[in-house]
Amino acid sequence: MTAYRVLAETLEAVSRERGKLAKIETLAGTLGGLDGDELKIAARLASGSPFAEWEQAVTSVGWATVAKAAATVTGWDLETIGACAAAIGDLGEAVGLLLNEDSRAGEILTVSEVDARLRELARERKAAGKQAAVEAMLARSSPVEGKYVIKTLSGGLRIGADVTTVEEALAQAFGADRDAVARAHRDSGDIGETAVAARAGTLSEIRFRLFHPIGFMLATPIETADEVAGELPVFAVEDKYDGIRAHAHKSGGRVALFSRTLDDVTAQFPEVAASLGKLSGSFLLDGEVLAWKDGRPDSFFRLQRRLGRKAPEAEVLEEFPVAFVAYDCLARDGRPLFEEEWTVRRRELETIAPDGGLLVSPVMSAGTPAELDSLFDEARARGNEGLMLKSRDSTYQAGKRGRAWRKYKKALATLDVVVTAVQQGNGKRAGMLSDYTFAVRDGERFVNIGKAYSGLTDEEIRKMGTHFRKITVGRYGPVRAVLPEVVLEVSFDSIQKSARHKSGFALRFPRIVRLRPDKAPADVDTLERVAELYGQLIGQPGRSA
Amino acid sequence: MDEPLAPFLEVRPEGLYCPAFDAAVDPPLPARRAIVSHAHSDHAAPGHEEVWATPETLAIYRRRNPDWTGAAQVLRYGERFERHGTTLELYPAGHVLGSAQVYFEREGRSLLYTGDFKRVSSRTSVPAAAPPAETLATETTFGLPVFRFPERPVLEDRLVTACRRAFEEKKTPILLAYALGKAQEVALALTEVGIPTVLHGAAWKLLPEFEAAGHAFPTSRAYETGPAQPGEALIVPPSCARTPVVRNVKRRRIVYLSGWAAREASRADFDADVLIPWSDHADFPGLLRHVTDVGPRRVVTTHGYARDFARILATRGLPAEPLPSARERLSEDAGAAEEESGA
Repeated sequence: MTAYRVLAETLEAVSRERGKLAKIETLAGTLGGLDGDELKIAARLASGSPFAEWEQAVTSVGWATVAKAAATVTGWDLETIGACAAAIGDLGEAVGLLLNEDSRAGEILTVSEVDARLRELARERKAAGKQAAVEAMLARSSPVEGKYVIKTLSGGLRIGADVTTVEEALAQAFGADRDAVARAHRDSGDIGETAVAARAGTLSEIRFRLFHPIGFMLATPIETADEVAGELPVFAVEDKYDGIRAHAHKSGGRVALFSRTLDDVTAQFPEVAASLGKLSGSFLLDGEVLAWKDGRPDSFFRLQRRLGRKAPEAEVLEEFPVAFVAYDCLARDGRPLFEEEWTVRRRELETIAPDGGLLVSPVMSAGTPAELDSLFDEARARGNEGLMLKSRDSTYQAGKRGRAWRKYKKALATLDVVVTAVQQGNGKRAGMLSDYTFAVRDGERFVNIGKAYSGLTDEEIRKMGTHFRKITVGRYGPVRAVLPEVVLEVSFDSIQKSARHKSGFALRFPRIVRLRPDKAPADVDTLERVAELYGQLIGQPGRSA
Repeated sequence: MDEPLAPFLEVRPEGLYCPAFDAAVDPPLPARRAIVSHAHSDHAAPGHEEVWATPETLAIYRRRNPDWTGAAQVLRYGERFERHGTTLELYPAGHVLGSAQVYFEREGRSLLYTGDFKRVSSRTSVPAAAPPAETLATETTFGLPVFRFPERPVLEDRLVTACRRAFEEKKTPILLAYALGKAQEVALALTEVGIPTVLHGAAWKLLPEFEAAGHAFPTSRAYETGPAQPGEALIVPPSCARTPVVRNVKRRRIVYLSGWAAREASRADFDADVLIPWSDHADFPGLLRHVTDVGPRRVVTTHGYARDFARILATRGLPAEPLPSARERLSEDAGAAEEESGA
């Protein structure tokens, strides 16, 4: 029986260590001493979730529920709990500071019990029931336990360690090969099962199973063709689609689609499931769900009408049709292909439905940056976002962002905007005023058009934060309204109509390019300019919004 | 409570004003006559024509403002001054060397203005006194229950442990501690365990005032005399965290000493390896204890979590409200540049 406190204190020690190696060593020290179910649970909790990826479970406990439970247990009113969370920058950390070592009631919490309670939470549907379950755990928690129970419920430990850190800690604790641990984790969809196998020396017995979600291989962005000039011959080039990335698992008549967040989205796209289900054999494909019209991709704005609907009605299905375009094959007829080179996987993909029953992304190649740029322009003319470059000899690195895949997107244009409100960021930037809402000019007034989270260095954000504190003119919860005087240049992928902002538009994927201290608020771009860019956008083929 | 501090103090756009003594209290801008609770720059603005303060505060004020030509009125703890029927008396505030609370009394009515204070004793100050008063004007920098700081000996142990680990790793401990008060107390704590210290100029130049108060720094030296050598700890103000003074030390272990170090987020703010919640302000239990001991009929809060602390008192049945001040600090500014508030 291992006390949950042992794990919570280990996670706390991991967060205090600053070096990656020290974090791994600290975690390995604790995981190495565990066995069986406790090891399984501890490995999962250390990676931030009580569940295996394949379980498709979430505790779904909202901030308000946790805050109410904390209010009951600590005796502080909800307003004070909220003020404390804002002051500290993290609800779990704040509640940890409010709990007392000596007012803990009842039996100590064990690792297994925390697991059981978190699973109860996932099953419980009612907010009151969830709150009672959280209270039951907090009442028996010491400060450090309360802190990590809440961090787990919040869906992020923020201890400067991710699932890769846990993989490395398992490798170190049990003398296993790092790649073998990573592979077993990928194939099992469960860091817990991986941990137990690493201890038993049976990692190689873990086999890939269809219908367990797998992490997605991610691409490193490039902004100009010259960045890859020397390597171009190794890359296969494909259009970069503006859709929803998905893995399609298929065996017999059964099909499952998993999104980037590893959520099962099969029911959202019944026509995709139906058409894949007609194909023969079993397979796992990587590809994209796209709005589809007249045999070609349609605007992302139309795809958006299909999102967030659990079971779309017939009229919606008819008005906003979608299709799945496959670009990789990760398993075929029981054989995993992750370790195979892209070329091999591509060959497999092309043989699934040679008669055309499966949409497959065309592959191109470019010998020079100029050729790549002309492919880019053609892709844009087809209504796609840009290009994907995939190293032909690379394996499929599930869940990792590497340089074997690159994505080539160009900013549509940049706009000069003025900051109108700022807000504290999360995670690494908790406590820093890192989120900026910004506006363009409409005659004498400024109208908001978007919000951006990154692009500046921590140093710049910190310096700006001091300035923003000085020019704050109002507060609305976590948001500070500021005098409109800081000018930024932002880039973005697209513009859409939006009821959320006063301007009537919203920038899609805005990124801060640089501060423009050389410009005054009067110099920022106007609403007319935004409308003009929007007009150009919808005038593009395939972009009819 | 339209004029919550009447008849002793008025809230004016330029700060607090005491009509009986025709003096501003801790004015943020140069004033004709200023009652200065302590010498931190957010309470002791340069350029006053006349300063009323404790001898220690006046000495530090002079050291920091060598060109100052104004008049000084020495007020010692326990001495009573009277003018127009109002008496004024300074009490120890326990914040830093020379820090004082200002007590006003007139015809059976009284007001205690705390300035910055703490209720625990530390190496260079006694705990804040708690004279009974009808109205308490208290600072509330850490006016939320998440701010509970361990006792000084516990904090000093953490400091020493952090320094020793740095030496084991062949690193220089860099201690971020503001220049007046904390830097000297850190140096004294390390002197006692045999760890020599190198002090940034802003802290070093104030040592004569601390020596005059009976403290000795036999193993401290000025940063001007050269960078820290193996086995020495470097003490610099938090504002230096991202400057060459710190960056030029390639192998370093940064220790942030502040009440704001209770927040994990301050690790990123100061690039700190170790966070020690070491403050010269009262923590939340200290603020509550002060209210209980002073026993006021009403409380006015200022600085930090003024609104929250007033609400917490009000829910306990004690009339309390935040000071309606144009210069009031916004409550979520925790961790912002807290250079000289002594956090």
